[in-house]
Amino acid sequence: MSKQNRLSPSKLLAQYHYVVVFLVVFAVYAAASSSLTWNGMMNIFRHSAVIGILGLGMGLICLTGEIDLSVGSMLALLSGFSVVVFNLTDSIAVTLLFAVVCGALLGLLNGFLVGVAEMPAFIVTLATMLIYRSIAQYACQNLDKELIGGGSSVYRMITDHNSYQSFYQLGNGRLLTIPVVGIILTVMTLVLVYVTTSTKYGKKLYAVGSNQKAARLAGISVSKIKLSAFVLTGMLAGLGAFLWIVMNASADPATTGNSYEMYAIAAAVLGGISMSGGRGRCLGVLFGAMSYTVIDKIIVALKMDSLINDAIKGVILLLVIFIQVAGPRMRSRLHGKKSV
Amino acid sequence: MKLLEMHGIYKSFCGVPVLEDVPLSVKRGEVHALLGENGAGKSTLMNILTGVHSRDEGTIYFDGEDCQHMTVTQAEKLGIAFVHQELNLFEDLTVWENIFLTREYTKAFGRVDKKRMVEQAQAFFTRMGVHLDPLALVGDLKISEKQLLEIAKALFFQAKLLILDEPTTSLSQNEIAHLFDMIGRLKEKGISFLFISHKMPEIFQIADRYTVLRNGKFVRTGEISEITPDEITALMVGKSGLTNDIYRPRPTGETVLKLEHWSGDGFADVDLEVKRGQIIALTGLQGSGSGEVLQSIFGCRAVDGGTMEVFGKQVQPGSIHRAMRAKIAMLPGDRKENSVVPDMNLLENMYLAEHTLSLGDFCIHKRLENQRFDHYRELLHIRMNQPADSILSLSGGNQQKVFLARWLNTNAELLLLDNPTQGIDVGAKAEIYELMLELAASGKTILLSTQEIPEIYKTADACAVFYNGRLMKILAHDEVDEETVMRYATNANEVS
Repeated sequence: MSKQNRLSPSKLLAQYHYVVVFLVVFAVYAAASSSLTWNGMMNIFRHSAVIGILGLGMGLICLTGEIDLSVGSMLALLSGFSVVVFNLTDSIAVTLLFAVVCGALLGLLNGFLVGVAEMPAFIVTLATMLIYRSIAQYACQNLDKELIGGGSSVYRMITDHNSYQSFYQLGNGRLLTIPVVGIILTVMTLVLVYVTTSTKYGKKLYAVGSNQKAARLAGISVSKIKLSAFVLTGMLAGLGAFLWIVMNASADPATTGNSYEMYAIAAAVLGGISMSGGRGRCLGVLFGAMSYTVIDKIIVALKMDSLINDAIKGVILLLVIFIQVAGPRMRSRLHGKKSV
Repeated sequence: MKLLEMHGIYKSFCGVPVLEDVPLSVKRGEVHALLGENGAGKSTLMNILTGVHSRDEGTIYFDGEDCQHMTVTQAEKLGIAFVHQELNLFEDLTVWENIFLTREYTKAFGRVDKKRMVEQAQAFFTRMGVHLDPLALVGDLKISEKQLLEIAKALFFQAKLLILDEPTTSLSQNEIAHLFDMIGRLKEKGISFLFISHKMPEIFQIADRYTVLRNGKFVRTGEISEITPDEITALMVGKSGLTNDIYRPRPTGETVLKLEHWSGDGFADVDLEVKRGQIIALTGLQGSGSGEVLQSIFGCRAVDGGTMEVFGKQVQPGSIHRAMRAKIAMLPGDRKENSVVPDMNLLENMYLAEHTLSLGDFCIHKRLENQRFDHYRELLHIRMNQPADSILSLSGGNQQKVFLARWLNTNAELLLLDNPTQGIDVGAKAEIYELMLELAASGKTILLSTQEIPEIYKTADACAVFYNGRLMKILAHDEVDEETVMRYATNANEVS
């Protein structure tokens, strides 16, 4: 189509800057690690899975101009309870179904309060963040020890169950040397890329985030769209929780998903999704999440103290946002245009 | 010696003259009405007087002082206070905090001397005869009290001239009486007022003298007692040539819309019947209710009484989606705020409304959408490059055509156009008028809310004039001229 000949290199760069960020970070990693193997690279994929899935959900919500701080706590609650469900049923399918449905319900609560009751998303999800994690920790202490796999403060899967082996396979297995969880992340990304770019629902997400008033006057039910974005995020958090337990076979309610809401936001933002809504692409989230995993690997490769990890991630986030915000302003100044 | 003398004021923005050789003089202790239509240059003149804009040429003498370079702070120091239409008060602070903001009395270590300020404010209110509690929260005050507070604030710091920009738009009759009472008392103390209003009864009640501006030029100044409302209206409007070049009467069909006792937020007891193929203009001054009626028909403004029938079927108000399914569409006013989705391209902007009606079909049919887009692009003469271009790359007139296409694409039969030519250049305006007439000829029914009378004359079969939320008069096409419309819109009949 005629679309291609319009894209100048600078426009391409502006649209796919998340790829550039990833490549730069990856280049640093390649230089820092002594031997870069295919396996090592595929591990990046595997370790990005949970953050990536949460980031996709966060991306949807950010597109509508809202925010969800509770995804990390949702992950803790859902992974913990999913372990319990697995221990009870010994079934992969039921566990997955439970995680997704329960996630949808948690998201529904957030979405109702934000979309329908019109409470500020920051406060609502801050509150549910506290609530969800607290429930996860409380239940862990007070549930029957049998159900949580015998541990005291950790939900542990019962390894004697029949389907445990296939569970383990799912989390650690590979398909043509590519980790299964990585494939799941890729498939989910593609699904959401399709939903956001090629369906009417996707267009509405963008419209609500871009100009809520105009969206309402065009007949879009703003509250329903916001509600649905939160529910979808809850379902993705459920899937993320499922991936978490297939990889770890346990969930610690105190540490699982700790500050993951921040990583998810960072992945979405690194992927080019605007926090004020209406702008960005879901594809970017995949690269944003992987960039963050690679930063982890760099720190390990350089044998640095892992406690400096978050500081480096924070600095990179600031840099990228600075370029995003200040870049267009500088460009327009260079062109001598009047600022709008 | 007059308090204010402005002579030969010239001002142009980007080469377009907005004020040419305008004089204005205000005596001590008078209420001076500054009159003119929207865009006549009143606000620019006031902005020059208060130092917001600099003048290109001309002199300003205030209180005998030659003000060569007027600045906002200087105007304030001289005692010129501008009470804007939207009040500039801090709702979350108390009355006394609002008065003394940035000018607080302090004690040692910068501690605020609350007691002294409250006492002074109280003493001042008593002297002025204003019943306000200095300790009350501004957010809790009635609008009229806020207006009084705004005026009191100016007077507290020794204002000699108060500019009141349409101070009565949000006030009830009683509140207006209260405000005028206070203006009367202050006048006797030698304080002058510049009073900007479109409401004739008020002007004749409160003003002593007047100055009329039209298209940035001075028309006349004089004593209110020597002129009638009709004469003032004629001065404001001028003898602009109304050309009836594109309007042609059309046959009308069955009843499309019928409102009975339609009442709600900003309008009351409206009866209106519109037939297929008609273009009916709703007009009135800002806030008169004409735009509000359109919004209520489309379901985005509260309705508390009356019935609406569309194509003979009763439609419950209050839901945009229901209105859309009843084949109603609204092109809202304020394009930038209510229509433009800045992050979407032209095609997406156009299809936004249709997508909400075709929910069952989840996927987007790119080919079909591009075809429909090309169809509307030709029909509406939209000048653009690619459907994938940003909506922001188009001029205002072309943007508006895209939004018109957004609604035509929903197969709506009744089009509500709220100020469709706002902020659009003259050429594009003419095109939009022609499009409206074409659409009406093809069987669409159009309700147009506008303040521009030439627009009504060029397109509408009839014109409903609103004043204070009520439908005053429905004028047939031949009865529409600026003077008649203005007379009903300002309720000038009540005075004579």
